[in-house]
Amino acid sequence: MSATPASPPAIEVADLRKRYGSGDTAVDALKGVDLSVQPGEVIGLIGPSGSGKSTLLKCLGAVTEPSSGQIVLSGETVYAGGWRNIDPRALRRDRIGFVFQAPYLIPFLDVTDNVALPLLLAGRSNREARQRARELLAALDVDHRAQAAITQLSGGEQQRVAIARALANQPPIILADEPTAPLDSERALAVVRILNRMAQQYRTAIIVVTHDEKIIPTFKRLYHIRDGKTYQEAGEGRDIG
Amino acid sequence: MISLAGRDILHSWGKYAFTGVGLGLLIGVTLSMAGIYRGMVDDGKALLTNSGADLWVVQQDTLGPYAEPSSLRDDLYRSLLGLPDVQRAANVAYLTLQVQIADQEVRVMLVGIRPGEPGEPRYLIAGRPLERAHYEAVADVKTGFRLGDAIQIRRHRYTVVGLTQRMVSASGDPMVFIPLRDAQEVQFLKDNDALRNERVRVLANPVLNRPGVPGLAETLSRSQESSRMVNAVLVQVTPGTDAETVAESIRRWKHLQAYTRPQMEEILIAKLIATSAKQIGVFLVILAIVSAAIVSFIIYTMTLGKLREIAVLKLIGARNRTIAGMILQEALGLGLIGFMVGKTVATLWAPYFPKYVLLEPGDAVRGLFAVLLICAVASIVAIRTALRVDPATAIGG
Repeated sequence: MSATPASPPAIEVADLRKRYGSGDTAVDALKGVDLSVQPGEVIGLIGPSGSGKSTLLKCLGAVTEPSSGQIVLSGETVYAGGWRNIDPRALRRDRIGFVFQAPYLIPFLDVTDNVALPLLLAGRSNREARQRARELLAALDVDHRAQAAITQLSGGEQQRVAIARALANQPPIILADEPTAPLDSERALAVVRILNRMAQQYRTAIIVVTHDEKIIPTFKRLYHIRDGKTYQEAGEGRDIG
Repeated sequence: MISLAGRDILHSWGKYAFTGVGLGLLIGVTLSMAGIYRGMVDDGKALLTNSGADLWVVQQDTLGPYAEPSSLRDDLYRSLLGLPDVQRAANVAYLTLQVQIADQEVRVMLVGIRPGEPGEPRYLIAGRPLERAHYEAVADVKTGFRLGDAIQIRRHRYTVVGLTQRMVSASGDPMVFIPLRDAQEVQFLKDNDALRNERVRVLANPVLNRPGVPGLAETLSRSQESSRMVNAVLVQVTPGTDAETVAESIRRWKHLQAYTRPQMEEILIAKLIATSAKQIGVFLVILAIVSAAIVSFIIYTMTLGKLREIAVLKLIGARNRTIAGMILQEALGLGLIGFMVGKTVATLWAPYFPKYVLLEPGDAVRGLFAVLLICAVASIVAIRTALRVDPATAIGG
């Protein structure tokens, strides 16, 4: 979980705000979030229910448009009071990876096609997409299930395929929403190990939104979100091998 | 790019195939309805072709002999033979009635003909043509009669001596050909009780049974005991002659109605089967609406079952057109399977229909395009639902 000082942060967020509704019924879900993650770094984002975690994730994931603030991806400002000449859909496709609580793989595609799909959607050739998918599956030790149907995989294997899919387009950032929630301790730590390894190997920053007490001590850096604001603190950074 | 629709279909092929078969049966019924209409038109054309006539001469101001009753004196054909460019002319009598064989009854169109003249069946598939003057019959195979069968028509029994094919009336009743004289009796001759009753009435009428005019009442009664009427005269014109010119001459000088082949087709198709055609048309529209509703419901339900996947697809950057294309392709695929099943079952069950079902390739092609169009329209609701899915739902919260 080391950073490369010379390179710009993978993601830098400054004074990000999000207001739902207007007038008397307006709700400020984010009240000035500041956040910075270096390439190859894995950080934890924790906070109680209703604190704004999901809203922040949606804003960072270009799913919901923030109300104001700034988002910089790998040195390029993509949001500053509005999306900067960039299609949020293309942003999600090319520069952001997603890992969910459940794997949410496409059940009618096999393992390789699930991983290749983001590349195909980005216009890569079939051959190139499959080659990249096979590499990622090998890196995540699920290449032996490359042709399997999703329903034939165990929960852990499905989560690894989901991580491979998130890495497909080599995004500078991956947003992981409670990726270990349904898993026991051993498997949860295994997933964190994989995320750390992938972050280092592919120089990808990973923001892990979690409530999971089992994995919180593994982060070197944590962001607490409370009442729509983030507070940074050093984590334990426990070594999990 | 991989075919998302193709993969989804393969993934749940069982559900898809069963749905396609169900839809196919509905499409099969639709194609059969169209085939029944085509069969009626074709029956009408076959009826005209098989009669071997260029002109149909009937009673003035009628649409006879197939669409309206028509009565002509049976010696009129002689005067028609005397007209320029008339090569042959023959009397015919048509009558639709129930014919009895053993314990069963068959509805047939009885045709009275003169052997060797226009109106007789052009070819036989078994047996021989009519040769004797009375009590022989040639029947269409659809009657179910066999050679040698004895069939009861009114007072007399007829022996089936020949079988023919594709000789049916405009309403699909198979034809039975008998000698003209017999057909005239069947159609016009009254039964014995009616004749006796009529004779008594004539004798009791002081105007008809006057003193000093012996034999008048007797002659009148005799005239009612025999029939000298036919329904139409079939005319063949000299080759190379314009039939309409001859028809015009008949209309003008003989005070009769003469129809050419195109005019008879117009009567049979546009008038005689018009109501049936409208009936079938309404059925086709209803079936199209039902098919659209079914496809729409199925595609909508299948889409609802994939909302999470659609949200994920959108989240990882799938374009709206990719998702719309997936749903549209699935709908079209369903239509294609349905059409193939429908065409197959319509072909398989066509021979079992009592009426001739003509499945024309052109109708099949039009049907295919109609099915695809219906499926495309039916997928609109599902596509709208899919496009409204918020990719944020994949993240939750």
